[in-house]
Amino acid sequence: MIRAIIIDDERLARNELKKLLMDFPEIEIISEAANASEGVEQIENLNPELVFLDIQMPGKTGFDMLGELDKTPHVIFTTAYDEYALKAFEVNALDYLVKPVEPKRLADAIQKLHLQDEREPNHMNALNINRSILSEQDQVFVKDGERCWFVRLSDIRLFESVGNYAKVYFGPNKPLILKSLNALEERLDEKTFFRANRKHIVNLRLIDKVEPYFNGGLLLEMKGGEKIEVSRRQTVKFKEMMSL
Amino acid sequence: MTLFTRISNYWLCQIVGWVFVFISYVFFAYSFGIKLTSLLFIRMVFIVSVGLLITHILRWVIRQLNWLMQPIEKVLPKLLVAVIIASLTAALLVIALFDIVIGSSSQLDFASRLTIYLIDIGLFIVPWVLIYYFYHYITKSRRQQFDTLKLEAFVKELELKTIKAHINPHFIFNALNSIRALIDENPSRARNAITELSNILRSSMQTEKSETVPFEKELGIVKDYLALEHIRFEDRLEIEYLIDEDTLDQPVPPMMLQTLVENAIKHGIGKQEKGGMVKVISDFRGNYHEMIVQNSGSLNGHVNGDGFGLSSTKNRLHLLFGEKANFEITQYGGLVEAKVSIPIEQNKVT
Repeated sequence: MIRAIIIDDERLARNELKKLLMDFPEIEIISEAANASEGVEQIENLNPELVFLDIQMPGKTGFDMLGELDKTPHVIFTTAYDEYALKAFEVNALDYLVKPVEPKRLADAIQKLHLQDEREPNHMNALNINRSILSEQDQVFVKDGERCWFVRLSDIRLFESVGNYAKVYFGPNKPLILKSLNALEERLDEKTFFRANRKHIVNLRLIDKVEPYFNGGLLLEMKGGEKIEVSRRQTVKFKEMMSL
Repeated sequence: MTLFTRISNYWLCQIVGWVFVFISYVFFAYSFGIKLTSLLFIRMVFIVSVGLLITHILRWVIRQLNWLMQPIEKVLPKLLVAVIIASLTAALLVIALFDIVIGSSSQLDFASRLTIYLIDIGLFIVPWVLIYYFYHYITKSRRQQFDTLKLEAFVKELELKTIKAHINPHFIFNALNSIRALIDENPSRARNAITELSNILRSSMQTEKSETVPFEKELGIVKDYLALEHIRFEDRLEIEYLIDEDTLDQPVPPMMLQTLVENAIKHGIGKQEKGGMVKVISDFRGNYHEMIVQNSGSLNGHVNGDGFGLSSTKNRLHLLFGEKANFEITQYGGLVEAKVSIPIEQNKVT
C-alpha cells in the first residue's frame, strides 16, 4: 500500500484524479490539500510516500512548496500546460502528468514507482524512528533557475555555506538552496555527514583521499575533486570517528 | 521651369560649386592686386572646366564600382588612389590644353608646373569627394531610419495579429479537465461547459477577420469564459456584471475585454488562496464608452502593464480608434482596475 496525498487548488481536478486512481488499489489517498501551505502541513504531519502535485497554485507554486520541505516524498507532478515546467522535467526526467490525465500515462507513472521501490526496498517501508533526522535514502528537492532535481542525500558530497544559502554539490551540479549550514547540520545524520569547518559539511562516504595539513589539520579530497580543509578542532573528532 | 525641375541636385551642386570656384579665383586675384590678364582668365576657365569634367568622371567611377555601399575603411585606400589619379590627370590635361591653345610660354620646367597644377586642382577635388560622400552618407542614414520605422510598424502589426488570436492553452486544458470531472458530477453543467468552451475557441479563431465586433458579442465570450473559470475556482471566484444596455451595440476590438478578464483571473484571483472578485463594467462617460474590469488584489509593482497583453492593448486601441482612445490600469484600496475608453463616433449614421 502506498499512502498518497493529492495537492491541487481545484476540487474538480482532485476529484478527477481520485476517480482515475480507483483503478489502482495499491494507492491509498489519505488526504487532499488545496494550496501549498496546506500541502506542507499535511506532508509534515502525515508523512505520505507519494504526492500528486499541481504546479500552478495560488500563493506558492508546487516547486516553491517542495523547496520548503526538508525531505520530499515521491512526487508525480500534474499540470495543465506549462512550457517552462515541462522543460525542467525533460532535463531531469522527473515524473509528470498533463491534465486531463490519460489513464495509460498514470499507469506508467505508478509502474515506474514500483520499479524504483524494488530497487530500494528499504526506502518505502522504512520506519523512520527519529523523524527529525534525515536518512541517506531521503531525497530533497533542489531548484536552481529553470532546472530542478530530486537528489538523494547519499549522492550529495558537500554542502558549502554561501551567505544565507548553502551550495549543494552532487554530480556535476552545484545549485543553491535557501538553508543555513547550521540548520542543515541539525537535520543530517552525523554518521554520514560531518562538519569539516565553519563553511563545509562533507559526506563521509564520498571522500576520496585524506591528507595531513598545516597545524595538525587535515585536507579531504572529495570524489568530485573538491579539496576541503578540516579545522584543528574537528580533526580530533574526525579521527575519533574514523578510528572506531 | 521644366528645365529647372529636371536639373538634378547633383548638377546643381556641380555648377554652383565650380562657378563659386571661378568667382573666388577672380576675387583672390583682385584682392592680391594681380592683374586679370586674358592668359590668367583662360587658365582659370581651363582649371574649372577640367575640374568639372574630372569630378564627373570620378563620380561615374564611384557609382560604377559601387563604392558608396561598401564600408568606409575598405573604400578609403581605393578612394585615395582615385583622387591622386584624378588630380594627376586633371593637372596633365590643364597643362596640355594650355600648351596647345596658348603655346608653351612658361619659364618653369615641366615638373614644377605639374606640381603647381596638381596642388591647385587637388585642392578642389579632395573637398569635392568629401562633400559628395557626406551628402550620400546623410541621405543613406536618413533612408535607414525610415526603413527601421517602417519595419517597427510592420512588427507591431504582426504582434497585434498574434495577440488577437491568443487564448491561453493553460486555460483550455484546465477547462477540459474540469469538464471531464463534471461529466459524472453534474452532466448538464458539463454539457453547457462544452458549449461555452466551443464559443470561446470559435471566436478566437474568427477575430482575425474583423477589426471590431459589437460589444454584445464580446460580452458573450467573456460571460462564457468566466462561467468556465467559475467551474474551476468554484466559490473562490465571485463574478459581477454592471452593464449599461445601451452600450451593447458599441464597436469594440474583439478579444480585448476577454484579455483583460483573463489577466484579472491570472494575476488577481489565481494568485490568492482565498480567491476574490471580478467585476465587469460597461458604461458611457462623456463622449467615451468605458469598459472596466476590476479584480481584488494588488498590482505588486507591475504597474507598467508590461505583459504582452497589456502593452499591446494600448497600441491596438490607438490603431483602431486614434489617439483619443485610452487604456490604463490602476490600483485603489484592494482593487485593481483596468479601464478601456473608446471615443463614441459622433457622426454615426443611425
